[in-house]
Amino acid sequence: MLKGAIEYAPSTFEERGAAVAFTTPLLSQTRVRRGERSKLEVLIPSLSEGMGTYVVAWKSVPEMVSMTMHDRYLHDLIVKEEACSPQEIRRATLKAARRGLAGPQAAQAARRALEEDEEQGTLTHYLLLLAILKAVGLESPEMLKAGIGTEEGQRLTRQLMARAADSLKLEANLLYARLAEIAAAVAPVGLTQSPKPGRLLRGMQELKAFRQSMTSWSNEVPSDAAPVAAFCADVAQHTIGIGEKLLTDFQRRVDAIGPLMRAWETEFVVIRSHAQRMAWLLDGWSHVTAAWDVAQTEDRHQQAATINDLFRVIPLLPKKESRQDMLGAAKRIKPVHRRSVRMLEDWRTGEMDMDSIRRIELVKARAP
Amino acid sequence: MTAPPDAAPSDIAPPDLLPTLEHRLLAIPGDKFLEVVRLLERVRDHPDVQQTFASIRPRLVQMRPERRPTLKRVLCMPFEDVLESFGGADVPLGRIERRAIDPMWGIIEDCADRHALDQLDRQVQGVAPGDHNGMLNIGRRLWPLAAQTLRSVMESDGSRHVLWRRLHGDEGLRRQVIDAAVFLDIGLSIEALKSDLSPKPLPELEDRHVAVIEQAAQAVARQNVAAVYSLLLVAAARLAAPADLLRVLNDLDLGKARRDQPVIFAQLSGLVVSNLEERTARLEPKAGTPSTAVASPEAAMALAERLIASVTTTNAVMDLLNEPIYRERLEAVKTAVGAMVTGAVLDTASDGILSAIPLPKPGAAPVVDEAAQAAAEDHARALRRCEGLADTLGLRHAVSDTLKRMGQGVSVRAQALLKDYPQMAGDADAAESAELTLFYALRLLELVAGPAKADPLRLAILSAIGESPDEG
Repeated sequence: MLKGAIEYAPSTFEERGAAVAFTTPLLSQTRVRRGERSKLEVLIPSLSEGMGTYVVAWKSVPEMVSMTMHDRYLHDLIVKEEACSPQEIRRATLKAARRGLAGPQAAQAARRALEEDEEQGTLTHYLLLLAILKAVGLESPEMLKAGIGTEEGQRLTRQLMARAADSLKLEANLLYARLAEIAAAVAPVGLTQSPKPGRLLRGMQELKAFRQSMTSWSNEVPSDAAPVAAFCADVAQHTIGIGEKLLTDFQRRVDAIGPLMRAWETEFVVIRSHAQRMAWLLDGWSHVTAAWDVAQTEDRHQQAATINDLFRVIPLLPKKESRQDMLGAAKRIKPVHRRSVRMLEDWRTGEMDMDSIRRIELVKARAP
Repeated sequence: MTAPPDAAPSDIAPPDLLPTLEHRLLAIPGDKFLEVVRLLERVRDHPDVQQTFASIRPRLVQMRPERRPTLKRVLCMPFEDVLESFGGADVPLGRIERRAIDPMWGIIEDCADRHALDQLDRQVQGVAPGDHNGMLNIGRRLWPLAAQTLRSVMESDGSRHVLWRRLHGDEGLRRQVIDAAVFLDIGLSIEALKSDLSPKPLPELEDRHVAVIEQAAQAVARQNVAAVYSLLLVAAARLAAPADLLRVLNDLDLGKARRDQPVIFAQLSGLVVSNLEERTARLEPKAGTPSTAVASPEAAMALAERLIASVTTTNAVMDLLNEPIYRERLEAVKTAVGAMVTGAVLDTASDGILSAIPLPKPGAAPVVDEAAQAAAEDHARALRRCEGLADTLGLRHAVSDTLKRMGQGVSVRAQALLKDYPQMAGDADAAESAELTLFYALRLLELVAGPAKADPLRLAILSAIGESPDEG
């Protein structure tokens, strides 16, 4: 069941696992991955000194840790759905939060997030449709004027799409199917021409603000946590660097929708893989940035405690994704990092720490 | 309400309209509020504008916009930490009332060197909002001038008419003006100490804080032994638990004030105890108000924890020094805090927690009220926090009894909803509302009774809605 603390130096995102937004403090942001014989397992950062991580069979977690009602529900859901990619985990997390088990604010935030996902999907689909028509020289002011929601607009759209399919030498149904596939893959990032950025693009913006804020904090606040904050800013900066390169290539490929349709077999695979990689890259960061947002209204003492908490769960890049030795850098910062007392209390007494749970739920209400 | 940054004062809302705008100022977004405050500052001497500032003060305190520096504002810097707070139950140590500021400033305007004041006034107009060093530079000259003026007016028979005109024979005000003069005497030392003990309130008194307090006290003692007490008041006021200063006070080397240490300790401990008494006195319901003076069960618990932490520290210090005289008074404080907790958290638990769970109505889906649920959860958390203070407050039995009753009450209501659930199964919307209500009841049970006791209800709900966990 418990393999003992291992040195945690994953090579790939899949090996690093996807972060799960549990509300039990000890399990918050622990990572789930597919282990030996495809069984789900969870990675719990060690609470003793050192950088060790415990690898625990997913099904054994409830026997080891007293979990909140929310977490037991989410745990069951992940078992049932065999979820372990960031998208699958997010779907399960939103479903659990929507049940109200992390409180009404988190339930409302989950409902809003699901609505936004749906709106973003529809918007992306519509913008892609316009982009295809434009790519084959079939822009139609009449269609735009009629609006896609009206009967007339839909008739015009069908007509134009049939002509577009001809022009691309595709069956109309195949064109529609591909459009739906691109929309599903691209919507979480969003299109360049979209009036509203997708959630992953927003995640990048939030990460930049976090990096800026951590850098300022580490420079301005005389605290033991200042080097830890500087380290968090470094990890964020490194992630942003990789994300920006990925995003540029992703947007270039999606913008060239004509060539994408013509070289579908090779191009779409790259686009989908880029979108998935963006999701892996930002996985776990929404909790970090939202937790720091929550700490903005608190005193510096509390902010330092938050920084120490975040150090434990900060998403370090796997070895294959980055030339920098993130684990080595984390080890160097380790001697100045004070293990959070909040976490230790929870671990030692086995009692539910209501204040810590409340903090995590507040973060969830910001970043469902 | 927006106006260009260079708008003349007459361009903004005419003062006679301001009283009607006051309530809107409390509701507009933060950035707009700050913009309006900045514009109003330009015409702040108008009586209506002053009235507006008075009514929006709670939001000013909350948002702390950078205010335009004025001589009166610079004057208050050395004693701002001991100025009484607006509303609320917390009272700073050795406080100076805000009503003392205007008369004090009036005396200074009447009696200080006019030429020097005018010169300082011109300088302060050139200081930008938020320019702390600029204000310090003005303070460097204003504080000694003000201290000297206040002291000579207080001591001189010839100034009786000024005193009468400004203080109207109010002995309380007179005492506060004399106190303020001492803070002004050591204004620069106080400002340096404030910078070292920032940001306020310090959650913990650390060794480095103790070292700077000691150094500042020694420096002040060289200037004026009697002023060390005022410096220590500022230090205590900057702590989350002022009583923490008592714990270290006898280990401090106060330099030339060393001989006065026992007196200072006695004064400060007396003040800490009186302060605790005064804070608890404010907890009692005022005539004509419905119940307790605290806003919510959560606020009640936060306040109770702060007060009891101070009582515990003070008690420990008094015990160590064998000072039994305060023990009874501190016991009375504990009793008052216990009464407040009983009134605000325990007695109201049924209404605050159970009423959030709707009772089933035949043929109708339960109505989900998320605001009521959020309030009930806050109440449940406050109730659990009571456990931490229960022994100290002598409420062990009452707290465990209330928790037990709440656990049973939530279970009974949840079971009623569960029994009613199959009737909703045919209607997707009704079923969704019913499920949400069940999960919210589960959450309340988790909060009051813990996850182990809540788990059977979780399994029963999952079974009813067809989502039982996978076996094995």
